[in-house]
Amino acid sequence: MSKELEKAGLPVAIVSAMYPVVEQVRANRIVKGVSIPHPCGDPSLPQDLDARLRREIVRTALRALESDVQGPTLFSPDVAVNR
Amino acid sequence: MITVLHVVNQFFAGLGGEEKAGLPVAVNDGAAGAARGLQLQLGDQATIACTISYGDNYFHEHKEQALQAILEAVQSRHAPLLVAGPAFNSGRYGLSCIEICRAVADALDISCVTAMHEENPAIGTYRDLGDARIYCLPTTETAAGMTDALQRMAHFILRLARGESIGPAQREGYIARGIRRLEKAERPGADRAIDMLLKKIAGEPFATEIPMEAWEPVSPAPPLTQLRDRKLAIVTTSGVVPWGNPDRFKTYRNTHWQKYNIAEVKELEPGKWEAVHGGYNVVYMNRNPHYGVPLDALRALEAEGVIGPGKLYPAYYVIPGNQGSPAVMRRVGQEIAADLKKDGVEGVLLVAT
Repeated sequence: MSKELEKAGLPVAIVSAMYPVVEQVRANRIVKGVSIPHPCGDPSLPQDLDARLRREIVRTALRALESDVQGPTLFSPDVAVNR
Repeated sequence: MITVLHVVNQFFAGLGGEEKAGLPVAVNDGAAGAARGLQLQLGDQATIACTISYGDNYFHEHKEQALQAILEAVQSRHAPLLVAGPAFNSGRYGLSCIEICRAVADALDISCVTAMHEENPAIGTYRDLGDARIYCLPTTETAAGMTDALQRMAHFILRLARGESIGPAQREGYIARGIRRLEKAERPGADRAIDMLLKKIAGEPFATEIPMEAWEPVSPAPPLTQLRDRKLAIVTTSGVVPWGNPDRFKTYRNTHWQKYNIAEVKELEPGKWEAVHGGYNVVYMNRNPHYGVPLDALRALEAEGVIGPGKLYPAYYVIPGNQGSPAVMRRVGQEIAADLKKDGVEGVLLVAT
């Protein structure tokens, strides 16, 4: 899906916890998600930290949209999302 | 004696090149053109009952009539096998070969054998079909490899016609269709996996049992400048939909997408939305749908001015991605892209579970 959107000229930032798979299928702007059942956030965090984490993930996705990339490129949110 | 039918385009039937590409379907008894070469390879073990030819353009411009005429010819000869091509790297020819095989296999339930270069654009269609009755053998890019192609086709045809069982693509040499069959292995999976791992660690060659599909790259769309002025939209495969699943998405293999209004919505309240998806545990998503549609964060960024006022598209797009076939997801991607472009969206945030 991501690739069809890009083919149409729309830059796509894809947030996924399965980023190695996303790289393999050759999507271009890939944002590291937290985990498969909750890519945008972490339910084990207190609510306010969870919301901040989500904001950082979305902010990273927007940065990815602003970035010139040549091929599959991984963008990591600026927090420790791997626990 | 085994009887087969051979379908070729006007060029390989010996009728002429591009100037004859408009020729309609014609049926000639016996082997003509490339079919003669195939007959030579089949020897006295099989006979080509007739050669069916068609113009490359005619086929694509009059597909229904062309397929109908070919089906009638095949049906009247009661052949147990159809052969099409080889098409090498010709896109038009390759695609017609695959479409003829599909029509014949569907209508008459007989095996079909074709051949072409692995980079022929029709290979995508062949893989998407994944029809166990259709086999495509790899060839060289050009007709320079004709003799070799016909030789291998003949060998394959004879095996099929004798009712021999055909094993997996890797072993038998046809182009993989992505079909998986159950088979009894001599050693359990854990043993085989550990063997593979040890070889990998030792830097020795090993063969995977599940090769990954090679995906074509897509040139990245140009980046967004002045993000604040750009219209953005959310797309998700998480399966987050309004509570009650009004459009009856299934938990797997969906074929259609929907978009849901978020124009006046500040945040997705639990209990008003739910996740329909059979591929992950939806408990967290149901408690907080922002894990799949991060609307709270987007609204916050809107308030901060990172995203311009009114620049977040007033609906989000969704299809639960579980077990979606690549062909369906490609079509869905194209449809969503067309809808987004129609409304002037310039960039997409896609959340995939």
